[in-house]
Amino acid sequence: MYSSQPTRFPVTHKSVSLDIKGNKTDIVICKYDDKFLVIVTQIGCMGTILHARKEGSVSTEPTFSVSVIFGKRDEPWLLACGRQLIEHISCSGSSRPLVLSLGLKDHSPETLKELTVAVIENCLCYLAAILKYAIS
Amino acid sequence: MTSKELDTRFSELLLTEGSDSVGKTNKLEGQGSNDDVQITCFTEDLHDVTFHFQIIKLTKQIYVWIGCNTAKFGHLYAAAITRPNKTVAVTPVLGGTSDNTGSGIARRLVLKTGLNIIVACNIPKDSPTLEVTAERKLFEKLKSLGYIKPRPEGLPVSSAHN
Repeated sequence: MYSSQPTRFPVTHKSVSLDIKGNKTDIVICKYDDKFLVIVTQIGCMGTILHARKEGSVSTEPTFSVSVIFGKRDEPWLLACGRQLIEHISCSGSSRPLVLSLGLKDHSPETLKELTVAVIENCLCYLAAILKYAIS
Repeated sequence: MTSKELDTRFSELLLTEGSDSVGKTNKLEGQGSNDDVQITCFTEDLHDVTFHFQIIKLTKQIYVWIGCNTAKFGHLYAAAITRPNKTVAVTPVLGGTSDNTGSGIARRLVLKTGLNIIVACNIPKDSPTLEVTAERKLFEKLKSLGYIKPRPEGLPVSSAHN
């Protein structure tokens, strides 16, 4: 009655496991039709979830909106991380919003800076390149 | 802040690509098996509907995405057991305020696994048949992956509480 046909899965994902300030950090990035999902965890769960999106028209300088939608709302560095990532996504040519989950052992600026660089250099560039190839 | 101004050190780096991981489970191996992040993606063609499932198992939480014919993200729900009377609380996190398709799946996932659950689901509104079908296929897969293990008494528990 049911069949499972081998097809290309429509959601691309990329995963990285690395060390940030002595803490094992797992990063998973998924590209959906209408969003990016970035999961960063050091504590075995998704932690605080943020939503970041680009606003503004094509002809004006883009602005970005970042908000915590689940979890800690008193950690400004989490918002800064989301802001960096959505800007990078926008500069790479995508207007997809970002759902970012940060489950971190510490929320120090150094950790978040290192984490932001890791996400951008290891994963987002790859996905942005896929996106550019797909729409070209 | 730019990436060039930052001094970064990566002592361990593992890269896995999962774009063709239909029916496969990719595992990020940590120092112990309990630290693995396991990603499972599969597709089920059921009558006129194609369901896509993505399961990301973390140590203390499971993230599930259910796609109905499309790869749109859909509405996001969080569910967990609340103390002291161990009831299940579900909340919409992104979207889902006027359409709670997926919240029932999240609630029952918590009951089955005992873990905190994050569910993203783009099943159309007012489609209970689709919701039930997707939930059944999802639970079958979770059982086959060992995330739901039946108790001797017949009640399911999670295998992640180790």
